[in-house]
Formats: sequence, C-alpha cells, structure tokens
Amino acid sequence: MGRERELPVPAHHILSLPPPYDMPPYPADIFAGQTVLVTGGGSGMGLAMARAFAQGGAHVAVMGRSIERAEEGAAEIAKLGVRTHAMSCDVRLPDAVAAAFDEAEEALGPVSLLANNAGANFPILAEDISSNAWNAVTRIAIDGTFNCSTEFARRRIVAGQGGAIVNNSAQYIWTGFPGDAHSAAAKTAQATMTRKLAADWAPYDIRVNAVAAGFFPHATSTAGRREGGIEPLQNMIPAGRTGSIWEFGWLSAMTCTPLLGELSGQVIVQDGGESLRRSLMMPDFVPPRERADGPWGWR
Amino acid sequence: MNAWLAGKRARIDGRHDAIARAIEAAGATLVSEGECDIWVHIARPAATRPAHMLTHAEWRAGLDAGLDQRFLGAQDFAAARRARGKGGAVLFVGAPEQAHGADHAAAAGALGNLVKTLGVEWARDGIRVNAILTREVGPTLGHLAAYLVSDYAAYVTGAVMGVGIDD
Repeated sequence: MGRERELPVPAHHILSLPPPYDMPPYPADIFAGQTVLVTGGGSGMGLAMARAFAQGGAHVAVMGRSIERAEEGAAEIAKLGVRTHAMSCDVRLPDAVAAAFDEAEEALGPVSLLANNAGANFPILAEDISSNAWNAVTRIAIDGTFNCSTEFARRRIVAGQGGAIVNNSAQYIWTGFPGDAHSAAAKTAQATMTRKLAADWAPYDIRVNAVAAGFFPHATSTAGRREGGIEPLQNMIPAGRTGSIWEFGWLSAMTCTPLLGELSGQVIVQDGGESLRRSLMMPDFVPPRERADGPWGWR
Repeated sequence: MNAWLAGKRARIDGRHDAIARAIEAAGATLVSEGECDIWVHIARPAATRPAHMLTHAEWRAGLDAGLDQRFLGAQDFAAARRARGKGGAVLFVGAPEQAHGADHAAAAGALGNLVKTLGVEWARDGIRVNAILTREVGPTLGHLAAYLVSDYAAYVTGAVMGVGIDD
C-alpha cells in the first residue's frame, strides 16, 4: 500500500496497490504439466488471464475469433517460457468448440484448465440494439461459456480427472447496467451459470468460479469517446484507481490453483468498490439516451 | 504464498486454526494487541434453534456477537489506521446467512451489507473490508483469507464470498 505513481486523486488519500507484475502470488510451477485454454485470449483481459496462467507454468491454448490476434497473444505468452498454441474459433458453435479442443490437446496435451473470457461489449441504447447485436453479445458470453465449459467437462469426466474453470464476469451483474443491456444480461448469466455448473460437476472434482471484474484498462478497452483517456476516470472509483490488468489475471488464475482447491461456485467481485458507489444524494440522473458523448457514451 | 503478507502485523479475533496457519505461513506476524495492518474477525459458532425458541436475550447475544461487536471492532481498527496514516485490511469470517438460526441470518445479512458499505466509506483511507461466509474450515479457507488481506487483493473491497458450492 502506498503511493508509487501519480494518480489524479487528492494527495491525502491512501490507495491500495498490488505487487508488481513480476511478483505473481503463486510459484512458477503451480500449473506445471497442465494446459489452459483461454477463450478470447489474444488480447485484453483474456491475454491477462493467459499470462497469469503462464506465470504459473501452464501451457496456453489461445482461442480467438481472429487467428491473427490469437497468434499475437500467443507470441506474447510464449515469452514467459511456456508452450502456446493459437486457434481461431467461434465459441457459439459447439462443433467448432469441440474441434478446437481437439486441436489444442493435439498440440499441448489434455486441457485441464479453462478460462471463459470471450465476449463483446459496447455501449448502446436498449432501443437501438439490433437482433444481430443482441445475439452476438449474449451468445458469445452465454452460449460460448456453456459450449466451452461442457466440452471441457465431458472430456475431464471421461478422463476421470478433475479440472478448474474460471469465468470472466463483470462488476455490474447485480445492479443492472443502463446503456449496456446486452452485456448486463450476458455477464449475469455467466455468473449464475457458474454456481450451477459448480454444483453439477462437484462430483467430478471440476471446480467453477468467476471473477466479476471492474474496470481494468487495456489496449482494447471501451471507455466511450472521452478526451484525456482513462486517467480522469480513476477518481470516480472508490479505490482511487482503475485496476491493474495483471491483478485481474492473478485472481482468475488463483481460483484454479490447488491453494484454493475447495473453492467452487463463487463469484468474486474485484472492482475497487465501483459497483457499490452510491449515496442518497448523487449527481442528477442523466438517461443513457442523453449522455451520448459522456463517459461510456454510446455515440 | 510465502511472501503475501511479509512485514505485516495481523490480529485475529476468534479461533481458527487454518486461517491462523495460512496468515502466518504467508509471512505475517500475529499480534494480540497494539498496531496491526490486518484485522481478521472470526465469528464463534452459533447455536441453531427455531426463532420461537430463542429468548430475546439469546437473540440479542447473537446479534451482538455477529454484528455489533464486529462493527465496533472495525471502527476501532480503522481509527487506528487513520491515526497512523496507513491503509489496512479487515476480513470477517463466519457462516452463510442461512446456516444457523434467525439471529445468525439477521446478523450475517447485516454484516454483508455493512462490508459493502465500509469498503466504500474507507476506500480512500486505503482500508479494504471483505467477508467470507462459509461452512468450510480447511486450508482453502485459510489461503483465501490470507489472499484477501494481502496486497494481491488490493482491488477487492466490499466483497462477500463463500468457498464451497453450499455456501
């Protein structure tokens, strides 16, 4: 804890800061001999998850819609000294998911860890969401998590070996997310599925958890059209900062370690208090329709 | 996890072997009084009886142990941290809301929303507040507790979680 970098919060505020990226919370061999499959692992939060697993020694199968992005991510992860394999897959299609698992296991060995991260998200008014957009956002997250998790579980059950799944959910799952109706639905489905899948697969020693993540800026973040980037946004979060992408990756991977070997069915909110910020007196309510150009604006 | 809590002083109120072991193994010094960076409060096991069989005195004792003493303890801890100009971490550990009697259900629910509130009120003091409500007692609970009070969980505050599928 302390103040090791300049932040736009008042100087007398005290912030909690994570250890640096090169100090992961688990030993470098905690996932040795295991392979993780990360959906949407080529960039953003998926890449952070993939790196965190690699810091624990897991081989990483990087799955993405775009093979180019998956390959770029895999190249980054390989620098950590683990084997990687990049694949293109649409997680909405069960046959494609099965084929991708075959490909990953052919390249890297049995997949014993799964990170469901694939998702799409963009601010838009509910009345403007086309059926295509609704289907894309909800089905990548909901059907994608179902398809990948069930494919994973069937293989682990046949093998007679357990495994661990972590889902990338979001901080707004218990509150609604005005201006982002498709993602509000999609991310909560992932969280509530987490609990039931954990119960269904507990007899097979397959654990399922989720991290309900707050704002962890990365190269492909959506923050609306905002002058000055994300720096000013740090002050709106109770913690006084946005999250560091690696602390999200670490918590995700931590849930899959034997250190937390009994953890299952949990949805852990990691958002610096962002979803809890409220008071009876707040700035005037602005309907999403009328904040087109503001933070998280949709225009 | 050897260095999660290196250099930290932790006070644990209530007895819990797995949590005490994990926090010590993570490098913290356990203290029973004086300055501490971390305060962990563990609820003592509650008796479970139907509400109509509880006297008001028993009801009040349940609320006192499960809620009032925890709030007052958190106030004291936070005041001491603010006086030092330092952040800190509070962790409450107890059973899930529906695990015991109505006294526990009331106290645990109140505690959960208190955690969400204090996590925000004290966020800019660098003080994080979280809770684990679980039936589990083993090493996973210990490790999760140690993680939550460490800087690795610097972006986790106001969070209430369990451990197992029945939590």
